[in-house]
Amino acid sequence: MKKVITVCPYCGSGCKINLLVKDNKVVGAEAANGVTNQGELCLKGYYGWDFLNDTKLLTPRLKRPMIRRQKGGELEAVSWDEAIEFASSRLKAIKEKYGPDSIMLTGSSRGTGNESNYVAQKFARAVIGTNNIDCCARVCHGPSVAGLMQTLGNGAMSNSIVEIEDTKCILVFGYNAADSHPIVARRLIKAKEKGAKIIVCDPRYIETARLADLFLPLKNGSNMALVNAFANVLISENLYKQDFVARYAEGFEEYKAMVAKYTPEYTAEITGLDPQLVRDAIRMYAAAPSATILWGMGVTQWGQAVDVVKGLSSLATITGNLARPNVGVGPVRGQNNVQGACDMGALPNTLPGYYYVTDAAAREKFAKAWGVPSIPAEKGYGLTDVPHKIAEGKLKANYIFGEDPLQTEPDLGMVRREFEKLELIIVQDIFMTKTAMIADVIFPATSWGEHENVFSSADRGFQRCYKAIDPPADFDVKDDWEIHSMMARAMGYPMQYNNAQEIWDELRGLCDLYTGATWDKMADLGYVQWPCPTEDHPGTPWLYEGNKFDTPSGKAQLFAAEWRAPLEKVDADYPLGLCTVREVGHYSCRSMTGNCSALQTLADEPGFVQIHPEDAKTYGVKDQALVWVSSRRGKVITRANLNDRVNKGAVYMTYQWWIGACNELTVDHLDPVSKTPEYKFSAVKVEAIADQKWAETHVQNEYGKMKADMRKAAQA
Amino acid sequence: MNRFVIAEASKCIGCRTCEIACAVAHPVGSGAQALSPQTFSPRLTVVRSGSVTAPILCRHCDDAPCARACPNNAISQTGDSVQIDQSRCIGCKTCVVACPYGAMTVVSVPAQAQPGSFLTSLRPRAEARKCDLCVGRAEGPACIPACPTKALHLIDQETMAATLRRRQEQAVQNLAASVTL
Ligand code: SF4
Ligand code: SF4
Ligand code: SF4
Repeated sequence: MKKVITVCPYCGSGCKINLLVKDNKVVGAEAANGVTNQGELCLKGYYGWDFLNDTKLLTPRLKRPMIRRQKGGELEAVSWDEAIEFASSRLKAIKEKYGPDSIMLTGSSRGTGNESNYVAQKFARAVIGTNNIDCCARVCHGPSVAGLMQTLGNGAMSNSIVEIEDTKCILVFGYNAADSHPIVARRLIKAKEKGAKIIVCDPRYIETARLADLFLPLKNGSNMALVNAFANVLISENLYKQDFVARYAEGFEEYKAMVAKYTPEYTAEITGLDPQLVRDAIRMYAAAPSATILWGMGVTQWGQAVDVVKGLSSLATITGNLARPNVGVGPVRGQNNVQGACDMGALPNTLPGYYYVTDAAAREKFAKAWGVPSIPAEKGYGLTDVPHKIAEGKLKANYIFGEDPLQTEPDLGMVRREFEKLELIIVQDIFMTKTAMIADVIFPATSWGEHENVFSSADRGFQRCYKAIDPPADFDVKDDWEIHSMMARAMGYPMQYNNAQEIWDELRGLCDLYTGATWDKMADLGYVQWPCPTEDHPGTPWLYEGNKFDTPSGKAQLFAAEWRAPLEKVDADYPLGLCTVREVGHYSCRSMTGNCSALQTLADEPGFVQIHPEDAKTYGVKDQALVWVSSRRGKVITRANLNDRVNKGAVYMTYQWWIGACNELTVDHLDPVSKTPEYKFSAVKVEAIADQKWAETHVQNEYGKMKADMRKAAQA
Repeated sequence: MNRFVIAEASKCIGCRTCEIACAVAHPVGSGAQALSPQTFSPRLTVVRSGSVTAPILCRHCDDAPCARACPNNAISQTGDSVQIDQSRCIGCKTCVVACPYGAMTVVSVPAQAQPGSFLTSLRPRAEARKCDLCVGRAEGPACIPACPTKALHLIDQETMAATLRRRQEQAVQNLAASVTL
């Protein structure tokens, strides 16, 4: 038995794992002593590897390239040569007929790694000639990147995960660490043990609320009002650091004027919070010698998200909680490599290393390195633009890499209708997914564990995953970067790499932020946090040393905005606000964790809708009974979970269920800047089902049929 | 004194890693079978109620109500723990009702052929299940090291005595500080 070092492929905590390998099979996982996890793992780290063995519990692995010769026809297994020929000739024809911007591509924030994302965006920009590439940061921490890039100049966590336990006060805003990042939750517990004050702002009584000194159960959709009220108190009670603001920040007068009316008394009606509680909370934050703000999807998945991020950043700025250890702003990244996909330029507005596509000098540098005359200068489409651009007739092809938009995007019915109009859908994945089911071309890739790569953890830490096993003998799969290279060559661009390190060395040579992160420094348990500009640089655990911000003026930008209510209103027909959340045992669209025997035992289809017992009573719903949940867009079946930790008037569903798919219900309302959907608020109703026996059978039938269809398609 | 595993509720985040660790340490059937929702029965159950989250499991009571209640003497004091003799369990569930912690469950396990025997019972049989402190597992309880927040602890004579001493010292400090007559 050998032990192979890897990084967990689930959340952004960046836990290091030793995979136990015997006869080319992974047989177990042990916690390794990584920087962030210190020899601990959560259940996904310990038990989340057996999908590699193609358990087919949920959906089968993709083994061979497949094509669908005609729309509406069957998928057919073909050779790699034929699949590449089929896909590249069609893509070329579309590019010639409609132009490069008629093609959309994605990066992958999941197990594929940084090298494959770099190659995917290079394929988009150098081979296709478009900036139409994006990753699921769009639907998650996109607002954090957009907001912080403007206010502080860097879109990532300013400080490190390891520092959380040494801060004296943690303001947790819309972030459920216990379910999203158990290994970060562990740091919160340690901080508490070391005497830190903890303030939790969340409509639900989440696990962290149990630790909290102050718990602010704000109304769903009132974030901006509360953040403004915090700022109002800091200024009116003179709790902010005037000297820090004067020397290192800009825009204070406008900021002050904007928050002037947002007294805790004024906002009480919006937030539902006692003004005294709001004052106590922000006084506690201001009084701490060091304080950290952590936030998650409860801040970003709203129609008003970028504004709130900027507001939170401003709270840290005016209290001087930046540019030193154990403080800062922490948008804790959800998917294991969503930070990495962004780092690598799988975004429509930035090249690898966060050079804007509008920066002519940067474009020239990359064009030269890639041997092309130029790189497009206009920002490309974002993930959430896709259905709309199809509707407008602007997008004709979609090359989807390691994502399952037909499970994860809002308003799935609308997305399906639009995707049907595409002339070409290419899916590159390891599993048969809902999206792969409608693809014209399927490229099967090696999985995490079957290739080596670098991931970026949530706190900008580059870490290497070693290859543990070869894909099973009967699999004809290739590394993601190899597939993109084959496509590039077929389209007349010479792209050829021998291994991941070659790609890594190419990209770190192009990105000043990563230049010093050599392959060797990341060996074994090595952890290199960017910026790491030179080879003798140790990496940067916390940003903005010397109070120099990465903004054009070098100063932090202060910002507040008027509060806007969520788009959809509850009414007599749809009286409850649906908020989509996650649960600890499953990850993303569930294609991986749903195929892990241990993880699927904890919860299975059709998932749950969490509802307050009093609301349940009103709608005649019993605990564990199957119910219908519907919105103006769709209707799904799920199981009621009566839960007095959730607030009245709101219901909560996790987005990984394929039958109880809450994204059939969600509304496609986007933040105007980051284009992130308002997953956190859709008006719905919950209806009891009288005939539970019928309902149980219905779920089993639907689930069985879905699994059978997936299996049949994959076996073609 | 019997040993037992207990959770520090203030550290538990309800992640259920311990449940899976326990189920994996007690494989159903031959051991080669994968876990499935039908056979998943960890010996500890993470309970979230009101403002508390923690796994509930057998306390290995020194005067165990389950053992007293069992009509067929299937449950007994063994070494420094309370153990169940599955060959005597008749699945009557008296122990489930008797346990004040709700730590006992009775599950039905699929019939299994005995190696080397022609006689196989085709009927599933009942088993009373609770924490057995992972007897037979060389590394000891599986749940404790798996918990990412280190919320689980094994309490034995020694740790109990240390806790007791700590509490007493605390109490005497409090006395000094607060009581003047
Ligand atoms: S899912 Fe996150 S917290 Fe759990 S082991 Fe993996 S990286 Fe660590
Ligand atoms: S593993 Fe630890 S934190 Fe997780 S549920 Fe069990 S006791 Fe609680
Ligand atoms: S000690 Fe062993 S049997 Fe008892 S709960 Fe923990 S893992 Fe399960």
